[in-house]
Amino acid sequence: LSCVDKVSSIFDDVEFCVLNGPHNHPKADLEKGIAECGGLVVQNPGPDTYCVVADTVNVRVKNLIAANTHDVVMVDWLLNCLQKKQILPWQPKHMIHMSPSTEEHFAQEYDHYGDSYFVNTDESQLREVFKRMDQPEQKFSFETIADLEQRYSWDTSPLSMFRHCVIYMDMDFPSAISDPNSQIRDTSLDLRALELRYYGAKVVGELNEGVSHVVKHDRGQHLQKLKSLRRTFERKFKIVSESWVTDSVKAGIVQDERNYLL
Amino acid sequence: MESHVCRIWPLSVPDFVHYLHISWETDLGKGFTVTLWNGQHAWSGKVSETQMTVEANEAEMEREKYLAELRQALTSGEGRTRNYSFDISKHGDADEMLNFTYEKVLQDFSFKLGSVELKKVSDPTEVIKELINYGLDCIGDLRIKNEHMQKENKRLKCDCDYSLNELEKHVKDKEALEHGLYSRFILVLNEKKAKIRSLQEKLKCTQEEAEAS
Repeated sequence: LSCVDKVSSIFDDVEFCVLNGPHNHPKADLEKGIAECGGLVVQNPGPDTYCVVADTVNVRVKNLIAANTHDVVMVDWLLNCLQKKQILPWQPKHMIHMSPSTEEHFAQEYDHYGDSYFVNTDESQLREVFKRMDQPEQKFSFETIADLEQRYSWDTSPLSMFRHCVIYMDMDFPSAISDPNSQIRDTSLDLRALELRYYGAKVVGELNEGVSHVVKHDRGQHLQKLKSLRRTFERKFKIVSESWVTDSVKAGIVQDERNYLL
Repeated sequence: MESHVCRIWPLSVPDFVHYLHISWETDLGKGFTVTLWNGQHAWSGKVSETQMTVEANEAEMEREKYLAELRQALTSGEGRTRNYSFDISKHGDADEMLNFTYEKVLQDFSFKLGSVELKKVSDPTEVIKELINYGLDCIGDLRIKNEHMQKENKRLKCDCDYSLNELEKHVKDKEALEHGLYSRFILVLNEKKAKIRSLQEKLKCTQEEAEAS
């Protein structure tokens, strides 16, 4: 490595430890690139090593992360530097692992997910931030989403027009028609249920307290049963016909339930 | 040529079923042929367009309305003929000629829609053949139609199920995407709020320090 032609001096006296590289840029190529820019290459990171460069997280990288003494940086950053012939500042997206001091430094600038506190973000940056985040374990309730949408006035979007609704589909219809042998069931309530969900509603499988609407097949029976059940409920649900759903979807805005009561 | 066959029970002989065969060219209003068979003998006769006009006038009905009634009486299914009654009467003792009348039954009275003279058919087997052929043709047509409908039904059911499944997938995807985006958004948003809180806190501390000094 001592016989390389120096093309730049951006890495003068900077010590690197390359652990592995991608197929199109193997470890040796990267090391040569560093040397051409005046950098030093070591096989084991020591106290003077600026950073560790890696492409994939293997056992060795994991051990270094556990040791928590060095910054582990993605190969992309090094490649960018070599290409632009300048030392580019680290960004959260470059970091596989940060040593405590680097982490502290980053914490001034970026939040835990790598979104800057001070610099505006844009679609592609936010997309990257989101991509780096694991699928959050915590389940957000429909109410959280509804609150959020209301707070930022997103609740006017047709895609969330039924957000405030908790809907039970009453699948009861005349028994002659619900004959299991008949090829096509004479109801499109299952389609309506999907429509409702698509436009933001919470569709539940059981008629319990908290249900805001019961959507019913117009020719369905036991309307009286539903009504007497409702008398025992604290929060009274509305019993509406299917056309409430179709008309709302058509109009792009929830229609007044009063015109569809059964 | 179109035709229709149904069973009737004449008022004067309610225990004997008679087979009524009506046939006409394109439109019943242009005149039609009536054939009646009681199981043994057959009678046949024709109703002309002019005769219908006369009968419509006698019933004091508009021609169109009269024709609609006639269609109902003569060519609708047996279930719907409840509102109509039929009768036959013989001329003298011989059964060479029959008078066939059809009436509309209203709540407590009935009025005559029309009548026709029927002449005994010399060879009833021809009539029977025609009736049976008509029946078999109908059955055949219906069977083909039924098969076609069932096939069509199956296909529609398949398409419907497929679409529902696809739609369900899309809805689930949409819900998952929405949930994923919102939850990430909330996390990032909350980080910013935490930062704002800490800066607020810092500012408060600095202000207090400044005031204290």
